[in-house]
Amino acid sequence: MATNTKSSKGLKSKTTDQWSVDKSVKIDKWDGVAVKNNLDDAVKKVLVENHGYTESHSLMDGRLLICTVSVGFALYALLWDYLHPFPQSRNVLIACVLSYFAMMTVLWFYTMFCERGCFLVAHDKDKAGIDPDNVWRVSSVLKRYDDMYQLTISYFDGVTNETTASSISKSVANFFDENGLLCTDLFEPVVEKIHTELSTSKKTK
Amino acid sequence: MGFIDNLDFLDDVRRMNKRQLYYQVLNFGMIVSSALMIWKGLMVVTGSESPIVVVLSGSMEPAFFRGDLLFLTNYKEEPIRVGEIVVFKVEGREIPIVHRVLKVHEKSVCFAFILLFILGSLLLLREDGSVKFLTKGDNNQVDDRGLYAAGQHWLQKKDVVGRARGYVPYVGTVTILMNDYPKFKYLILASLGIFVLIHRE
Repeated sequence: MATNTKSSKGLKSKTTDQWSVDKSVKIDKWDGVAVKNNLDDAVKKVLVENHGYTESHSLMDGRLLICTVSVGFALYALLWDYLHPFPQSRNVLIACVLSYFAMMTVLWFYTMFCERGCFLVAHDKDKAGIDPDNVWRVSSVLKRYDDMYQLTISYFDGVTNETTASSISKSVANFFDENGLLCTDLFEPVVEKIHTELSTSKKTK
Repeated sequence: MGFIDNLDFLDDVRRMNKRQLYYQVLNFGMIVSSALMIWKGLMVVTGSESPIVVVLSGSMEPAFFRGDLLFLTNYKEEPIRVGEIVVFKVEGREIPIVHRVLKVHEKSVCFAFILLFILGSLLLLREDGSVKFLTKGDNNQVDDRGLYAAGQHWLQKKDVVGRARGYVPYVGTVTILMNDYPKFKYLILASLGIFVLIHRE
């Protein structure tokens, strides 16, 4: 009986371990999207956890809103067409189809002009709460079938209203070992370097 | 333990936060919605409730073979003429039938009808509400009266799903396969769905 409970407990702790975020994860190193996601997550971790900036979700929320509305149009069209078979549902269908494709265009513009590959917006709140936030925007590009990971961090100074940006382009092979495990000890210094570069440049000015 | 270790492919999902999980579901929804909206858009443009159909039987050989993909339109203003290939539904049968029009009866005054037709088909469409026609498969020995519902001798406009406007040979063979083996269809759909859901963007 005792052994039973013990083993089930062990199982549970292992499960929670695997579900926790900070465990370093093994990925399929030939999967470009997975590689990029993994690196992006690591950058996010450096800025949000190590530096304590607060992540702003507004960009992602905007995308979720656009997607939800467009799926809503499709569902509405489906339901309406089911309740009122085709010739009667024509006008509603026209409206839904047009709105859906309009939303797709909006989504395209949103991706092109608002997100621009940006995966993290982090606010560095002023401790006294007087000055406006400093904003870090991080975007990255990893082209398909390419190994160059281009990381761009831009820094918006809330006080001087100035934006500075810095970017690096390095092969992902520098950061992953043979098994597809991200070497944080190699990658984090790179992020830290850009971070210091940007935060000191504002001070010298 | 082994069970948990085998769930490595769920790593992507495991590392997601609430927003990403929701986005993953939305992403799947958007793929389905796009297909759905294109289909509904086609329905509106062609006026047919099923603008693309696959020929399932050999009754129209040599015009169409099993597996041919047909593109249909169903504009109300175009009159039905002998020799045209129509897709129609019969009460009590789920699958529409593709056959050629053999005879047409129209309740219209002939001369005025032709004049109107020349002047503009838009006026005419309100006129010829009552059309009765008979169909037959090119490859069949007899006309379709035996296929119609009991006591039905003629088809009417309301039975028509569309008229064949173009076709692509043999593309629909996959559809026939899926119809013959429904489990195969559900297997493919399920595996595609799961792939999209657990694979991060």
